[in-house]
Amino acid sequence: VTEIAAHPSVAEIPPRPTNLFDGYSFLGNTYDELLTSEGAARPAFQLAMEMLARKSPDEVRRCQALVDRALLSRGVTFSVYSDNRGTEKIFPFDVLPRMVSAQDWKHIRAGLEQRVRALELFLEDVYGDARILRENRIPAEVVLGSRGYLEQVRGIIPPGDVRIHVAGIDLIRDSSGTWRVLEDNLRTPSGVSYVLENRVMAKRAFPAAFDRARVQAVDTYPARLGNALRSVSPETEEPNVVLLTPGPYNSAFFEHAFLARTMGIDLVQASDLFVDGDRVWLRTTRGPAPVHVIYRRIDDAFLDPDVFRPDSMLGVRGLFRAWQKGNVALANAPGNGIADDKAVYPYVPEMIRFYLYEDPILEQVPTYLCVRDDDRAFVIEHLHELVVKVVDEAGGYGMLMGPQSTAELREEFRRRILAEPRRYIAQMRVELSSCPTWDADRGCPVPRRVDLRPYVVSSTAGPWVLPGGLTRVALVEGSYVVNSSQGGGSKDTWVLKP
Amino acid sequence: MISRVADHCFWMGRYVERTENAARVLSATHGLALDGELPAPQCWLPVLIVAGEQPAFTQRFGAAAAGDEDVVQQYMTWDEKNLSSLVRSVGAARENARSIRELLSIEVWEAINEVYLWMRGEAARDEYADNRFGFYGRLRWYTELVLGLVRTTMLHDQGVDFVGLGVLLERASWTARVLDVHHHALLGQGLANHAVDTGLWLAILRACSGYEPFLRHSRGQTTGLAVANFLLLEPKFPRSVRYCLQGAGERLSIIRPPDRNELPGGRSLQRLLNLGAWLRQVQLSPADPTALHQVLTQVVDETAAVCDGLGEELLGQPPRPIMVEAEKAG
Repeated sequence: VTEIAAHPSVAEIPPRPTNLFDGYSFLGNTYDELLTSEGAARPAFQLAMEMLARKSPDEVRRCQALVDRALLSRGVTFSVYSDNRGTEKIFPFDVLPRMVSAQDWKHIRAGLEQRVRALELFLEDVYGDARILRENRIPAEVVLGSRGYLEQVRGIIPPGDVRIHVAGIDLIRDSSGTWRVLEDNLRTPSGVSYVLENRVMAKRAFPAAFDRARVQAVDTYPARLGNALRSVSPETEEPNVVLLTPGPYNSAFFEHAFLARTMGIDLVQASDLFVDGDRVWLRTTRGPAPVHVIYRRIDDAFLDPDVFRPDSMLGVRGLFRAWQKGNVALANAPGNGIADDKAVYPYVPEMIRFYLYEDPILEQVPTYLCVRDDDRAFVIEHLHELVVKVVDEAGGYGMLMGPQSTAELREEFRRRILAEPRRYIAQMRVELSSCPTWDADRGCPVPRRVDLRPYVVSSTAGPWVLPGGLTRVALVEGSYVVNSSQGGGSKDTWVLKP
Repeated sequence: MISRVADHCFWMGRYVERTENAARVLSATHGLALDGELPAPQCWLPVLIVAGEQPAFTQRFGAAAAGDEDVVQQYMTWDEKNLSSLVRSVGAARENARSIRELLSIEVWEAINEVYLWMRGEAARDEYADNRFGFYGRLRWYTELVLGLVRTTMLHDQGVDFVGLGVLLERASWTARVLDVHHHALLGQGLANHAVDTGLWLAILRACSGYEPFLRHSRGQTTGLAVANFLLLEPKFPRSVRYCLQGAGERLSIIRPPDRNELPGGRSLQRLLNLGAWLRQVQLSPADPTALHQVLTQVVDETAAVCDGLGEELLGQPPRPIMVEAEKAG
């Protein structure tokens, strides 16, 4: 029997006596993404983990420093609202990757496709016949009382009949390792540019481990999104797609520029556009040019001062009417806020059964709606155990982390909940899974809690799930908050090939 | 191309070029002052005049401070209130670049971002303190890198044309201002001391990167008239006023072809072409510095008028470049 030949570059690496993950300290009652509780690599990740484990602390430190420098010079930054105008920070990137097995991904992908299809049907229904409300499968006051509800959208069928062109669905993993949907983002979800930039960094940092892991590519995203946007264009010959940004001082401007660049489309501000004859035009150096699809990264409220905010200087006058007439596609469609309202979230499994006649594939997090009397009474009694969220906030703002809160803060939330019960929900705190994360001070990997935001792009042909996603990590020891605005960072997410 | 985007391209070009010009003039003046032939105010006051900063500087520091090289260099390099300072020009170039991030190649963006980060960090302060020539030299190196990368890593469409147009108009105006501030030393009686005159002429050439090209061109024959002719009219020298106006006219003719009368931009194009044609037939007299001054005033005023016209015709109405105040001050 002859031995199987190994590539010389692999065969010649001398075995290292040390393992980077030796002495890794696990969090109690928490699922770790990469290591079993015995400290061994999870079987699906064994090949890649062997390569990572060979790295010395000095090598990882060097990688982290190189990556930080590259991110700064590439301008991979976000602006901080509470800071001075225009202050940019790099979104902290942790070099150690997060991995997802092919088997897990198959489950996630099917679950996300199902979920987005149901949410799409829900929006079409609510702004159409409202069958689900008439049949009392979801209380009408929960949906119609949402701040995201736009009466003006009723009866409109958007170009291409798509409303959720881009969805970012936040997933977490509980202590048993079960994937659960934490929340849906169906308006202007952000972060996908970091997924692509993180991949560039991870390849630079750990080429050998990346190669061994057999990771699915993510850089097809801009092409997929571009195709999806063109698919809904009212003009089919030469559709002109633009990306509408609030401008360079917006926290996500890097992403807006990144996507426009990688899709090869114009990045426009509202003042570059005007509406004439219910059609949208772009001001160019050669006169007006027609616009057919707008991937808008501004909120509903700032789209069109004629319809939403008469006092607003932002937006494009007449844009809503142009959309209503079917002359321009808006991605995502106005009015989607009702479907990612956190008080509507508990009813998504019901939507899946109602519209698709299927059982939900992905689990959710049990949720108490403060608008319900019983739930509210329970929430008020158990604030110290619960996570309380405002139904229409994002970015980790307006949240109460009960177990880590002060008595004053709980009292404040009690008053706010009683004053406006519709605006609050509560959930048991989930022990988010951990992932080895580089601690520069200690010079070793430490467990930090993570979530995962995969992206779903929908064209007229249906949803497509990017094989990857933004893994956000709570860099602060003991923290459960992964938002970039609150001390969170990100990791590259390696979805392995089957 | 979107008018606002064209505007940012144009101004990015201008601010990058302005950074380089100011760094070069500061460096050349630093060298001239070290020779010790001229009283300090005669070295440093012209720097402030060229940058259009004499009134603001005098108001803040007093007229006598124009003779203090540390105060002038500090003001022209680090002063955040001085809209023509290097740190502000670099910031404005980067701010315009950031607004058109989607249009720039990653290489161009990285180069602009790096010089910005360098200027904001300790390394630049240290270099300024320890190695003044090295500091100005590095700024010039960065800005040349940016402009080179624009040419070699970007699609040559209207965006690049607008960057080039901004660079060339800024450069034409800058060379004209440098010549104008010294027009008495170049023609007429000069400073009546041949060694001092020659030193100043060479400093003027250095301030326009024209020292070696001039010597090659004139085969070592240095006169005030030859220097003035070279910097104003030499068609083969890329910083002469004539060369810059010619190049700007060509760029604008690509952006807005002369025969496409249905497109906006016709008035600015005509004005620019007229200025270039007029300059080509100018002849300087060795004894008449006033005539040189008049020619240069015409160039500076007309270039500014072309820029204003471009703002209205092509770059979006009303014109609103970032940090437009810097222009008013100048």
